[in-house]
Formats: sequence, structure tokens, C-alpha cells
Amino acid sequence: MRGGAVVLGGRTIWRDASFVVEPGTITAVLGPNASGKSTLLNLILGLVPLSEGSLRVFGQSPRRGNRRVGYMAQSRAADATSTLTGRDYVGLGFDGPRFGWGRDKTKREVIRRALTLTGTAAFCDQPLHSLSGGQRQRIALAHATVFSPELLLLDEPLAALDLAAQAEIVDLVNLVRDSTGAAIIVVAHDLNPLSSIVNQVLWIARRQVRSGSVDEVVNESVLSELYGHPIEIIVTPRGRRVIVGLEEEFAHPHPHPHPHGFEHNEEAHQHLSELYEEETS
Amino acid sequence: MSLSDLLSTSFVQHAFYAVTAVALAAGAVGYFVVLRRQAFAAHAIGHVGFAGAAGAVLLGLSPIVGLLVFCLGAGLLIGVGGASLDESDAVVGVTLTAALGLGVLFISLYSGYANATYSILFGQILGVTWDDVGLVAALSLGVLLVVSLSYRPLLFASVDAQSAAARGLSIRAMSLLFMALLAITTVVAIQIVGVLLVFSLLVAPAAAAEVLTSRPQHAVALAMTIALVSAWAGLFFGVWIGGPVSFWITALAASSYLGARLFDRNRVRHVRRALA
Repeated sequence: MRGGAVVLGGRTIWRDASFVVEPGTITAVLGPNASGKSTLLNLILGLVPLSEGSLRVFGQSPRRGNRRVGYMAQSRAADATSTLTGRDYVGLGFDGPRFGWGRDKTKREVIRRALTLTGTAAFCDQPLHSLSGGQRQRIALAHATVFSPELLLLDEPLAALDLAAQAEIVDLVNLVRDSTGAAIIVVAHDLNPLSSIVNQVLWIARRQVRSGSVDEVVNESVLSELYGHPIEIIVTPRGRRVIVGLEEEFAHPHPHPHPHGFEHNEEAHQHLSELYEEETS
Repeated sequence: MSLSDLLSTSFVQHAFYAVTAVALAAGAVGYFVVLRRQAFAAHAIGHVGFAGAAGAVLLGLSPIVGLLVFCLGAGLLIGVGGASLDESDAVVGVTLTAALGLGVLFISLYSGYANATYSILFGQILGVTWDDVGLVAALSLGVLLVVSLSYRPLLFASVDAQSAAARGLSIRAMSLLFMALLAITTVVAIQIVGVLLVFSLLVAPAAAAEVLTSRPQHAVALAMTIALVSAWAGLFFGVWIGGPVSFWITALAASSYLGARLFDRNRVRHVRRALA
């Protein structure tokens, strides 16, 4: 992507995005809620047009239904009530978009491979609603990797999972990268659980996108500029980085902080109220 | 007249062919109604059909013409306006009330015999003519053909719209296709069980099937079977014991759902005991 910008309904979502995703690497897309992280994935999927700049996916303009791109949607409440079995859901990743009566003879084998890769063979014949959140995410990953995509897009794969399940999914994502050599883009709201496997970070805030290595992006000057508000990074004794926004008084020392100061900056505070931790390498 | 004489009369035979065609189509489409949680839309389309039929009667046309025009129109409206399943409730509700209002107007303008209205509301299967059977069978066959050809994309778009869109399926197109299928199925089902009882063939068998199996293909086949058995048995009881056929079909279909839930609860308890 070079100089990319997205405008939806007259509103600029973000602009000046430039980055390259190499095969076999994992890119984390981070930023506050509604900053346009999922929009980036929709762009690559060809569901949303680019307003400025250029985007090439395998040297071509993005197009819908590209089999070289795998996509795992954000988990939805519907999964929790779905009576479909995991195997049937993975099967939809194979021939779900196809009309007609024909049956593909390779389907069984392709699905078996996806189930084996993601370690889901043991519970794939149970209905989705009877599985744990982590198991459902594994099934969803099998669905997304049915065609061994060269580019894999994961939208919030760790949302609503407990810490153990998060670690399990992170390991699996790493395994998929290692065994398929795919480039993986992961949308997340927290870098911490992913930091051990991430090669590149795209940080979206206040309609800007900053890309670089973890060290290049997750530092005080870059984040302060991104948020338009001073950011402090605290390094814990174990080497983890905690990202915090500075209070008004620290940023602009004032003997009598005026009463409207907080309200005035409420939006920035909301962005900053989330803590981001980062392990140093 | 003996039972076998009754069963061999032409009106019972017409009814037999008609319920067979309708039950198969309704069972198959009903699975997707249940899967997409769009029972409300199915309900609304039936009532919209009532307005259409009343309008057609007022103009001196066959009720089925009005049913087709209004049901398809409402289906397309709901399909376009509520393509994303999240926003469809309000669209369906507004369409439903607007159509019912029209229906009231048409009935008040119509000063003739009210029996036509009654049969639209509650079904009049034993009054089906040979021409009706031909039309009902053709529409049902068409629905079954389209469902079988678009089975996978329909399932995909119903289960996971986001991923289906990412894979190049148009969610709006699939929503429109589904609503058109639902509208046509509703029109034919109204011939048998009427507007008010259209759920008995469209939702109850599919809901029972969804409780009993997790495999979508099995569920579709099971829904069609339950609908067919309810319809055949309902027709038989209506002729043998008496009472409206639509009552029997509704009672049997509802019992199948109740039975499925009881069976499932028993099964869950059994599995729990085995695990404990």
C-alpha cells in the first residue's frame, strides 16, 4: 500500500498509509475502537474502495473472492447458538460460495488437512454452540486456511478469549505461518499477547496509520504524535512495556487546572485509557 | 360414503398432490428461515399476502395473482431493506403493518361474499382445483430446484455473512434470492393452510429438524419429511375424522416440534448422565 486513504460516507477513516507485508511475516494492526482496523481488511478483500493512493495484493488490485487471501471474520454471538458442526462450517470455506449440484472429490481431503493443521479433528463433528470459545476460533481458523492462502487476514482472533485460550490461538497462528509461509495480518486491540510472534506493527489512531517494527512504532515520540497527546511507556522489571497516557497536569503543568480540562479532552482520554503492554526483545 | 370412496374423490386427490408439493418446498425453505432467524419475515409475508389476495378479489382477479404480486413485492422490499440481518426487524415490521392496513381497506371496500377472505386466512385445501394443483406444483418444483442449486451459498450467507462477503458472495443478492423463495413458498403454502397458519409448514418442521440434527443436509431432508408427513396425515385425518385440514396439519407440525424438544432434552440428560 502506498499513500492509501479511505473515505466512507464523506468521512475520512484514515490517510497516508504506506506499508508492505512480506510473505512469512505477521503484521499486527492496532488502535482504538472504530479507528478503521477492520476497514483495512475490507480494503484488502476488495469490499471497500481505496480513495487515494494505491494498494496491490499479489501485484494486482484487490478483488473479491480471491482464493489466495484467507479471511477469518470477527467472532460473532451467532456462533454461540449455531447448530452447525465445525466440519460443515469448514466445508463452507471450501465450496460455500459455489452454486450448483457438483461435488468436488478433493473436498474431503482438503478439509481433513485444514482440520489436522489447526488441531480441530477431535471435536469438528460437534455443533459449534457446544464448543469453547478457543475451539470455535480454531475451527474458524481452519475455515480461513482451507485453501492454504498466501495472505491470511484475522479480525480480532483473540477477542473474548481467556488468557490461556489466547496463548493457544497465538501459538496456532504462529504454527500456520511457519507451516504455510503465509503472510498474516492480525487485527487486535492489545499487542501484548501477540508481541512474541509479530514482525511488523500498523498502528492506527486519529486517522493516521504508522507502520514499522515493534521498536519503531511502540515508543513515546511516535505514539504521542499519533494520539496528539503525550504518551509514556513504562518498562516493568521483567522488561514489559506499559503504555499510558499522561494526565493533563503532567503534560501542561498548571497551578490551577481548570475544571473543564478533563471534559475537553475526553476523547483522547478514552483512547488512552486502554493499557498496552509490550515485551522488549 | 366410505373412507376409501372419500379418498378417491377428485377434490381429495387434488388436495393430496397440492399438499405434497407445498410440504416439500416449505420444509426446504423453512430450514433457511429457521437458520437465518427470520421467522418474523415469514410471518409478515403471509400477512402481506392477505392484503394482496383481498385486493385481487376486490378487482375480480384470482386471489393467487394478488398473493404472488404482494408477497414477491414484500419479499424484495424486506430483502433489499434488511439485507443485513441486524436491521431487518424494523423493515419487516413496517412492511407488515402497512400491508395489513391495506388489507383492512380492501376488505371494507369489498361488499361481496366474505368466504374468499376466510379461506385465505385459514386455508381451503379441499377446494383446490386441478388448475391450482398445476400452478402450486410448478411453483414448488421451481423453489426446490433453486434451493438445491443455491444450497451452499444460501447456507454460507446465512451462517456467516461476513466471511461469505469476503469470499465474493453478494449478501444483498443472497438475501433477495432467499426472500423471493420465501415469498413464493408462502404463496403456495397459503393455498393449503392459510395466512394465519403458514408457520405450521414453514417453521415448525424445520425448527424440529434443527433440534434433532447438526448436519445441514440432514436437517433439510428431515424438515421436508416432517412437513410431508404432517401434511399427508393432516389431510387424511381431516377427511377421516372431520375438522379443518389446516387444523390437523398445524397440530401435527407443532407436535413434531414439541416432540423434538422433548427428545432432545432426554438425549442431553442421557449424555450428561453418561459423562457424570
